[in-house]
Amino acid sequence: MFCAGIDIGSTITKIVIANRNEVLASVVQRTGAQHRRRAHRVMEDALTQAGLATSDLDYIVATGYGRINVPFADAQITEITCHMRGVSWLDPDVRTIIDIGGQDCKGIKVKDGRLDDFIMNDKCAAGTGRFFEIIAKVLGIDLEEIGPLSLTSKNPAEISNLCTVFAEQEALSRLSEGVPIADVAAGIHRANASRIYGMVRKIKIEETVAITGGGAKNSGLCHSLQERLQLPVFIPPEPLITGALGAALIAGEKAARVGGPGLAALKKHRRWDAATFFSDSATQAAMQPTNSQHSHMG
Amino acid sequence: MEEQNNTGLRRAAEIYRHRGLRARQLKEEGKKIFGYFCCYPPIELLTALDITPIRVLGNMDEPVTEADDYLPPVMCIFCRSAFDLGMKAQYNYFDGFVGAHACDGAERTSFIWQNYIHSPCNFQLDVPHTAHGPALTFFKEQIALFQKTLETFCGTQIHPDDLRQAIALHNRQRALVRELYGLRKPNPPLVSGTEMLQVLIAVMSIPVTEGNDLLQAVINEVTTRANPHAPKHRLLIWGSLIDHAAFTELIESSGFNIVVEDTAIGTRPFWHDIEMTADPLDGISDHYLNEVLCPRTFRETGPSYQADSDARFNYLKEFAKHWNVDGVFANIIRNCDIHGYEVPVIKDYLNAIGLPVLVIEQDYSTAALEPLRTRFEAFAESIDGY
Repeated sequence: MFCAGIDIGSTITKIVIANRNEVLASVVQRTGAQHRRRAHRVMEDALTQAGLATSDLDYIVATGYGRINVPFADAQITEITCHMRGVSWLDPDVRTIIDIGGQDCKGIKVKDGRLDDFIMNDKCAAGTGRFFEIIAKVLGIDLEEIGPLSLTSKNPAEISNLCTVFAEQEALSRLSEGVPIADVAAGIHRANASRIYGMVRKIKIEETVAITGGGAKNSGLCHSLQERLQLPVFIPPEPLITGALGAALIAGEKAARVGGPGLAALKKHRRWDAATFFSDSATQAAMQPTNSQHSHMG
Repeated sequence: MEEQNNTGLRRAAEIYRHRGLRARQLKEEGKKIFGYFCCYPPIELLTALDITPIRVLGNMDEPVTEADDYLPPVMCIFCRSAFDLGMKAQYNYFDGFVGAHACDGAERTSFIWQNYIHSPCNFQLDVPHTAHGPALTFFKEQIALFQKTLETFCGTQIHPDDLRQAIALHNRQRALVRELYGLRKPNPPLVSGTEMLQVLIAVMSIPVTEGNDLLQAVINEVTTRANPHAPKHRLLIWGSLIDHAAFTELIESSGFNIVVEDTAIGTRPFWHDIEMTADPLDGISDHYLNEVLCPRTFRETGPSYQADSDARFNYLKEFAKHWNVDGVFANIIRNCDIHGYEVPVIKDYLNAIGLPVLVIEQDYSTAALEPLRTRFEAFAESIDGY
């Protein structure tokens, strides 16, 4: 039974295709402004990687911020539940998940493999990928460098302000005082780790703690969080895809529940044509090659 | 008859949408209109003088633009929004304004209201923050002072019989609201959260007799119509008030039926009747200080954390049992300190009796509602057992 999970995050779209409990393909691409068309493209790549056709997919679950914009999804489940499922499958001992996304940050509690509690921050850039993007720019380095650089610091700078705009100013004034870039970067990571820790504490942190999302790819942030947590931390080998993985696993359960004849009916009504938010003729024309490409897959 | 059966909810929705309309009509007919803040001012005294009490609310649709010159943005945005509407002349038909020291935000807003929005009559009701004997004595004196202020303004005395009649009318309203709440016990409930919100705001925007007729019409309608609601998870809302249907619609389209609201536009003003005492002010002061259950009043209730939470929140356990509640939404309007302080203890208490709790601190703006959908859906999924 082939199932897919598609996680359309604010910044990155991820797809996992699984056959029962075996992952066949995982694809990660930037989301961009047009979720619907993006969903289609990323799914194409994932199917190619898995060596499958669209008609092979028995059940598709969409998740993430753009989950309502996936015309071919059979069900929508929130990213909170999907992350929980994905991480739990990778490590059943995990009780607390800290998911640091591009534009939000979540704490999720797991109990007996089920969603127990959660907390979410999406009102403020502090503790999200966006914060680090802005600060990396101020420091004149690439986003990928900021974490490793911060780990070289022996004397992290004091950064007190977590409003992204003011933190940017504070980082600038530290730099003008002659504080080394690595120390400023380390200070920024510490301050964000404190903020994230303070939020997740409200749902009572229990070990094992997992860190997922783009933030888990920042070694400096993981280090600062671990320092704050004083607990063992599990970082999945591919921390970006736990939501899509969870969605694929839930899709598998749903497919099993629906059963053969129901699945055939679902597939028949699935919309594979590329949808778009725009109806003007230029956009339609631009969509044409994508359409024809898909017709042979179906 | 059919026509009559169908008019309750529609009329309530209409009054909800045009909250000041009936009051302005009455004003044109020469009646007096008083605005009051929160659920602490004893509106029975207003009714006894044939004054229509209108509950002051904010508007989640209207960006706060005028109030920020007078109220700091760190305070409760509901209070700021209500004051903002006042500054924009949306309550300019008030003959009087009754503020209350319900919470600090309401108190400051009431005084600032008095300074900048010049209603002909103003009264600030000092509501004690504790509920022991001397506090009750003090509160009764406050209410007597309120009575005197009203009598001086109107140039007439309140006859005790008129006050008793007003109490009876408002008690009748409380009983009707409780009856309507009872109709949310079945699954699916006969009345949705959005319908309830519209009905309650409507009755707070018209004279009590008209409100009672409206409630009766709604009860007749919902008990005879084909129930349009589908079974969903049953939600209890505790905390800051909700005064906009966009919010209840969001919740009820994310996997929930709202079945009971322990808020200031919910059970709190209606759950207990005023006792008919020899001196009516005894029954009134006891009701408003002891029986309106908002955490703005500190109640010493027991020697331990457990005894304290049992005594304070047992009523929520009763609600959960009788309304067959699946989960609780703790609604905190940003910077609503009185409800914010209670979150850890109430979460502990409800979790211990097996109820999951979703806590959201929100910005009191319809524009900021949609991002909350993920939280409600995830909460519904957790109740589903995902």
